[in-house]
Amino acid sequence: MRRFFASFLLSLLSFLCFSPYAAIANASSAADSISTSISDSRSDYHEQLILRPLPLSALLASFNFRSNTSLSAFEAHNFRFFPRSLGQILQHAGTRELHLRFSLGRWDAESWGARPWNGAREGGTGVEMWAWLEAETDEEADHKWLTLTNALSGLFCASLNFIDSTRTTRPVMSFQPEGNHIDANAANTHLLYGVLPHEVVCTENLTPFLKLLPCKGKAGIASLLDGHKLFDSSWQTMAIDIRPVCPEDGECVLQIEQSIDMVLDIDRSKRPRDNPIPRPPPAHDMKCNTSKPYHAHDTCFPTDSAANQDWSLSQIFGRPIKGTCPLTDPTVSPVCIQVPDSRIVFASEGAIEKKNPDQTSRCFDFPAENDFEVFLPAPETQDGSVVVDQHLVKPETPLLYAERSFTGHGQERGGVQTILRNPSPDQEVEFIYMESLPWFMRIYLHTISARVDGQPGKADSLIQEVYYRPAVDRARGTQLEVRMTVPPASTVFLTYDFEKSILRYTEYPPDANRGFDVAAAVITILNRDKSVGNSRFAAYNLRTTTLLCNLPTPDFSMPYNVIIFTSTAIALAFGGMFNILVRRFVAANEGPENGLKKGVNRLKAKLAAMFKKRGSTPAVMLDGEKKME
Amino acid sequence: MPRLLASALSLRRDPRLLKLPPYLSLLCIVVGVVWLFLLPLDDYSRRTYISENALLPGQVHTYFGGSDQNVFRAYKHETDELAGKGNIEVNDKLESIAKGLGLKVGRQNFTYSSAGNTHSGQNIYAILQAPRGDATEAIVLVAAWKNVKGEPNRSGVPLVLTLARYFKRWSLWSKDIIFLFTPDSIAGPQAWVDAYHDAHDSSRVASLPLKSGALQGAIALDYTRETRFQSVHIVYDGVNGQLPNLDLINSVNHVAGGQMGMGVAIQEMWKHSNSYHDRLQTMLRGMLKQGLGLASGPHSSFIPYHVDAVTLQPFGDGWQDEMAIGRVIEGTFRSLNNLLEHLHQSFFFYFLMQKERFVSIGTYLPSAMLVAANFTIMAIALWVKSGQPEVQKVITEKTETAEEAEKLALPNPHAAMERDLFLPLVLVAACQFAGVVPLYLFNHLSESALIPAFVLFTVLSAILPFLLSNLLHTSATSTTTQQYHLIRSFSLLLLGMFLSSLATLNFSLAFLVGVFSAPLTFVRPCPNSPILKWLSMAVLYILSPTTVVFVASVLPDLDEKVGCGLGEVLRQAAFAWDVTGTYTPVVVWCVWWPAWIVGVVSVLGRPGAGDGKVKNA
Repeated sequence: MRRFFASFLLSLLSFLCFSPYAAIANASSAADSISTSISDSRSDYHEQLILRPLPLSALLASFNFRSNTSLSAFEAHNFRFFPRSLGQILQHAGTRELHLRFSLGRWDAESWGARPWNGAREGGTGVEMWAWLEAETDEEADHKWLTLTNALSGLFCASLNFIDSTRTTRPVMSFQPEGNHIDANAANTHLLYGVLPHEVVCTENLTPFLKLLPCKGKAGIASLLDGHKLFDSSWQTMAIDIRPVCPEDGECVLQIEQSIDMVLDIDRSKRPRDNPIPRPPPAHDMKCNTSKPYHAHDTCFPTDSAANQDWSLSQIFGRPIKGTCPLTDPTVSPVCIQVPDSRIVFASEGAIEKKNPDQTSRCFDFPAENDFEVFLPAPETQDGSVVVDQHLVKPETPLLYAERSFTGHGQERGGVQTILRNPSPDQEVEFIYMESLPWFMRIYLHTISARVDGQPGKADSLIQEVYYRPAVDRARGTQLEVRMTVPPASTVFLTYDFEKSILRYTEYPPDANRGFDVAAAVITILNRDKSVGNSRFAAYNLRTTTLLCNLPTPDFSMPYNVIIFTSTAIALAFGGMFNILVRRFVAANEGPENGLKKGVNRLKAKLAAMFKKRGSTPAVMLDGEKKME
Repeated sequence: MPRLLASALSLRRDPRLLKLPPYLSLLCIVVGVVWLFLLPLDDYSRRTYISENALLPGQVHTYFGGSDQNVFRAYKHETDELAGKGNIEVNDKLESIAKGLGLKVGRQNFTYSSAGNTHSGQNIYAILQAPRGDATEAIVLVAAWKNVKGEPNRSGVPLVLTLARYFKRWSLWSKDIIFLFTPDSIAGPQAWVDAYHDAHDSSRVASLPLKSGALQGAIALDYTRETRFQSVHIVYDGVNGQLPNLDLINSVNHVAGGQMGMGVAIQEMWKHSNSYHDRLQTMLRGMLKQGLGLASGPHSSFIPYHVDAVTLQPFGDGWQDEMAIGRVIEGTFRSLNNLLEHLHQSFFFYFLMQKERFVSIGTYLPSAMLVAANFTIMAIALWVKSGQPEVQKVITEKTETAEEAEKLALPNPHAAMERDLFLPLVLVAACQFAGVVPLYLFNHLSESALIPAFVLFTVLSAILPFLLSNLLHTSATSTTTQQYHLIRSFSLLLLGMFLSSLATLNFSLAFLVGVFSAPLTFVRPCPNSPILKWLSMAVLYILSPTTVVFVASVLPDLDEKVGCGLGEVLRQAAFAWDVTGTYTPVVVWCVWWPAWIVGVVSVLGRPGAGDGKVKNA
């Protein structure tokens, strides 16, 4: 109770603080759709978990955490829900808006349909970040970007510091700021984009992510987040978005939105943690198709019963939700499930079920102190045949399917082919295709071409605009942005060729024979529906998978063999030969006295001369000492 | 020191030096062949070892078994029902099973035409996406509906389906797994691999609708038996004698032999006592297969794309069941899954003597190089010889006038003769280019015309040297000894050059062609000794390319009682050329055959008619 009171006081304080930004913010034009979709952008913290069963026994879990701080409080270093560690980095690096993504796995659009949040909260495999920085010149922006990546690298335990100039691009068409900036396109705002496709996202990145949350993963929906489950998922992406939001009728706030989207395989997640090995089940536990004529006690045609399994939160995540986070906005239901209303969902005692009017989702409110649990029983089936539509919310068809692969073979040159399929029967899709390629893939821009599958004549009009920034060896990667369209119900092949350059032998990584990761292509589908309240720049985002490019790799053991061999040869042959050639050989007694002996003798003579003068006894003693040596 | 130099210089002018090359050539050939026969000895071969530490073969528990056997039986019933049905019908069933397992399925049509026949079919493949992976790498498990001999892969196809279901349950895969089912063992996999790397001719082979990442390895299963087996046979020969990385074979060997306790055989040596004889036999069989360069299984097509692949064939009567071979595949896939880099650590050029003994390229290459070098040595010797006035002639021409005799009796050691290059160059070049004719013929004729064409070609190629020889003899300026020297020199130079470069690509082919054409070094025009002449002719005709091809086709095969017949050999060669891109016909018709023609022409030669050139010197 005391905690509640304290938080209330704090929020009051933050309201009282007047922001100098507010006046300017009011002047800024239409609010972003993301901000308007939120009930009240100034409510300070809320979190929500949306569960959506997907076909093929998958489950999409979207965790969303959002906290706001007024810009004035932020400027005054007055952090409440906004994580101080991150806030100070942003201030130091002059960051206006930051987007950071950690992703793993791939989204199976064929079976799972459209991506969550229309793809706005995801990145390509590995780590991806882009930010709008405030800087007077490009050099200053680069410097701030370096500061930002290095600081974030430490904060998130990721190799973000490896985003150097070769991995940084400045996209021209693909990104627009999400927040409300006073002067978004001003000369002193720089957009920088960096990507690390080879970075493997794992638990060390999750821990700092959770630490940014007000409840730190101890209470509320974040208590479900466990590295073992998160990184066993088929697809997961962790996103951090920081942007200034200026509602039309209030003070500007800085909003941090953290989200984790993951697709869990229900079969795999339900396996007990102490026995994760998928041993073959005992024969009598198998679900067989008994209608087969050969069905017998030792012959079993397995049925696809795995598609409709029952599950509960604690089965899948290993534990129930430990109450709600006390800081969260109580008007937002913490857990929602997207299943048709016809399905039965059991929730733990004390929870209140609220069915949404769209008949495909329901939300649960539950007391802060109790553990919360949801159980979704398997749908009842009639004679074994289940229609997917009846027990699952039918996945929405994405606006575009994209698949990218290499063509050709060999180590000299190759090609990239992206297959873009528009499933819509009547609507054209316009999008921006962006590639940021490493410098050692030298693309031949004249070979870039787009053709519609089966219609060779229609190639000209597809590519509308190309922005190309060629690579500079060892300094800058290739940046390619193509604005193009795909006609309705057709497939377009976008292809280009490239040449592989030969690296210096110190430039190869330790696992050179693995190949080099090529970052995912970013596809931003432009929003055509510019109606009020839907002013977003992108209607849908998607990323292709990463690629593995094989470069000519030397046999690294060879240089070492050569070095060892030549060193031995020099040591043995050259050493002896050099000695013979350079040295003059004389008998031992003929040679000059060597340094030490000479010095000793000289000293002896000096001393002898000295003592002769004085005529005292110690000379004898000294002489004796020398003899002992 | 000066004395040493002086003696070396005087040695250089010693006429005996010119007599040395034939003996040197002979020595090269003998050493080269003997070298090969020493390789199976313990001192020259090495024990195999796992070079790539990441593989860790046989270090994991394999869990395939138990109730999976029930599933296997069910799938076997399903596939048995499909026996004798059409390709499309089979693929429909496979697709329904694979889709039921939650895999992504793609199909690909292909049509090849070779020797007038059309080989068409449809491949089907299912991709198990690595649960946490990102489609950068993939490994392939192939089950052809029919194996190389045309026998149905009765247990292999259901076992691969069962494994697909089993693999789906694991979350540890770091690479996608592609299950590929092809209607046959050569054309289907070839079409698929070509299309995967976009190296296909899209008018004959369809593009793949689904793709994954870079292929890191492939295992093919050829399991036609329906009873229990004893051992597993690893087939590893690729197209054109390319071999998979030795680490892959070692891994399978470790898993099958070490972990599962089943026998492992290679090169159809069903019983191997590890004696010298058996090792030599294994090696020679390997060399023969490598030399022919044909595809030996579904794995062969992968190897040219630098995807290491082997085929596993269970054989022999024993107590190992389907689950055992399933576990071998599971263990091997777990090893491949561990790979951080593409297989590159171990050898790509080797001969296996036994499952655990091999020789690497450094040890065996000198053998073929020596054989190839003998031609080069002889070619250089003939070149030098052609530039020197003939001493023998000087001695026989003593009846000439005294002053002339005086002049010639003390031939200037530095005397050089002008070489007449035109005729030799034209002849050798013409013969080389003529090789295109049989190459084109045998790869473009229809199957029924192949045998008549071969007979006709054999006759023509036997007559051609006589025609050429007569042409040389009756031409306006009669061919001199020097020209014969030059003809042989150029021909041998080319042969030596081709074979030594070929030895680095396909050692066995270079060695075999080198040994068969070894007599070409020693044959020479012998107008004075008909016995020697006809003896040389006999040897050359016995070792002619056409005779060797014919004899090879009627000789009994490794385990069959009769040879496959000339028509089959020619059909297979044309198929290999058209589908898998085997280059052995190029070597036979464009390297070996021209050299042979020139060799016979030079035996038939009647030089000495024109000796005017000597005087010009």
